[in-house]
Amino acid sequence: MAPHTPRRADGPPVGTHRASMMDRLSKGVFYLPIVFMMLFFALPMALTVVFSVFERTMFWMEPGFTLFAYENFIFSARLTNFLSSMYYSLISVAICFVLGFPIAVFLRKSVPQVAQHRVVLLFILPFMVSEIIRVFALRPVLQRNGLVNTTLQNLGLIDEPITALLYTHTGVIIGEVMSFLPFIVFSGFLAMEAVPKYIFEVCDDLGAGPVRRFVDVILPLAAPGIFAGCVFIFVNGLGVALLPNILGGAGAVNAGLIATQAIAALDFPLAMAVSAIMMTTLMTLLYIGHRLFDLTKILSPIN
Amino acid sequence: MDDYANPLLHRLKWAYLLLVVLTLMSPVFYVMYISFNQNGFGANEYVFTLEWYGLIFSDKLLMGALGWTMALSVTTTLIAVPMALLAAKYYKAAQNKLLPVFLMLAPLFVAPDILGSALLVFFKNLNGTMVTLGDALGTGLFDGWFDLGFATSLVGLIIYTIPYSFVVILITMGRYRSEQTEAARACGANGWRAFWDIEFPQIRAGIFSAAAFTVILCFNEYTRTSLLKGGFDTFTTVLVSQMLNTGMSEQSYAMSSFVSFIAIAVIGGIIVYTLVRAEILSKEARAKSAPVMST
Repeated sequence: MAPHTPRRADGPPVGTHRASMMDRLSKGVFYLPIVFMMLFFALPMALTVVFSVFERTMFWMEPGFTLFAYENFIFSARLTNFLSSMYYSLISVAICFVLGFPIAVFLRKSVPQVAQHRVVLLFILPFMVSEIIRVFALRPVLQRNGLVNTTLQNLGLIDEPITALLYTHTGVIIGEVMSFLPFIVFSGFLAMEAVPKYIFEVCDDLGAGPVRRFVDVILPLAAPGIFAGCVFIFVNGLGVALLPNILGGAGAVNAGLIATQAIAALDFPLAMAVSAIMMTTLMTLLYIGHRLFDLTKILSPIN
Repeated sequence: MDDYANPLLHRLKWAYLLLVVLTLMSPVFYVMYISFNQNGFGANEYVFTLEWYGLIFSDKLLMGALGWTMALSVTTTLIAVPMALLAAKYYKAAQNKLLPVFLMLAPLFVAPDILGSALLVFFKNLNGTMVTLGDALGTGLFDGWFDLGFATSLVGLIIYTIPYSFVVILITMGRYRSEQTEAARACGANGWRAFWDIEFPQIRAGIFSAAAFTVILCFNEYTRTSLLKGGFDTFTTVLVSQMLNTGMSEQSYAMSSFVSFIAIAVIGGIIVYTLVRAEILSKEARAKSAPVMST
């Protein structure tokens, strides 16, 4: 925090020794959140790498060096499950992008500026309801005699209920899209701040079609926000255990579920190995994104 | 093509936007609908009842959990929102913004199960280290500092909610001109007075929104809290354990709907308040800018 030394408009700094001490103290206060996040977020996440090489005991673990947890992860079905959950997460990212990003473009391009933030608030509404509740609530919607099948049958569009909507990978993807779609709208909305409104008019004047305009103009300008939104969905798709647990079938397992199952089985080094792999994946993605797009630009509209 | 040159296309885009919001909310609305049915989910006959809601309030376990949830929500809000404010002010003044941005926003990108697991193992190890330290010093003073419980859940919730508060406050602060603080300081006000008298009134809406947001997020959080809470129960942990043990009972639907009603009422209240306040301010601005008519 930049220090502000109290000054009179026409003279030297004002203040006694006590006042300057107070100023120094108050400056220190601004570091509190940084210190807190270093201690209780960055450190625990970094320590997952250390704990992952500890040796497993009956109920806990002890210091040592073994790669057994990683072997346990790599040479088992866990790796296959992890890779397949990556694949399904990518599908969710693509669906969220296709469904959600046009909304962000529409908001920035066609909605009056005073109303834009209010419309965005609508997408916060689903977040105000617990994710647990939203995911559980999908069960009666997607199941055999649920809302979707009943509606489709009543409309005469199907004769037999669709059973692939629940307890399958499709169910997990539906859950991920329903849970994370608003994030692509938020990040897209922030990203579109980098695309001035006149750009659309210039493109129209030059006769650039929607596809050309999107690929050559919007995408490069809005890339940091789009990337951040996509990484968020991808990583959460990999890590939120709830989705495969509630909506997925026997084969639907992601990293989060592997970690929680490991903790339930008191295999803490394995849980930490999965966390470390997830953290490495996330950091690699963010590093690549930052090198390519300078991710700090995402917050530039509100600087 | 310009939307205003093609009103139908413009309306279609609005319809699509509202359809997406409605679809996202549909599971919640459906659960609310079921929660008022005497015969429960899947019944042929729909009979309206409030019976399931009555059962929630007679459930002592649930009421106890509600108390813990409230305590956690309030404490988290009292700590996380001022911290987010400090972080936002730090971020605004910092030359190198990468570190504060990373630390404040990174928790958004870490899945709840991964963060919860990491914190669980971190606290258990920290506890062990403290006990060992106490043993070495021949004192039991350090025992149980990081036992899983209220404090550890609190840490998990602060990490979870701080990015949201940080962004909300930062957005509000974007409209504040820092020259006003400089002017106040030049007039002899200390840092606190410049903040409290000049800046705070202008960013108050963002801070209160962040507080409301934090309360709701804490109320709805499950994964991190269930891993870090130790012996007590919160509203969502009771709800989920009932759902997992007995499936979605009529009471579960009512409990889910109850939480949703509160959350929607709070956020709806904020939206309505924001709209009304904006309208009042714009009326005032129009009145001030209107030319004075001489008689």
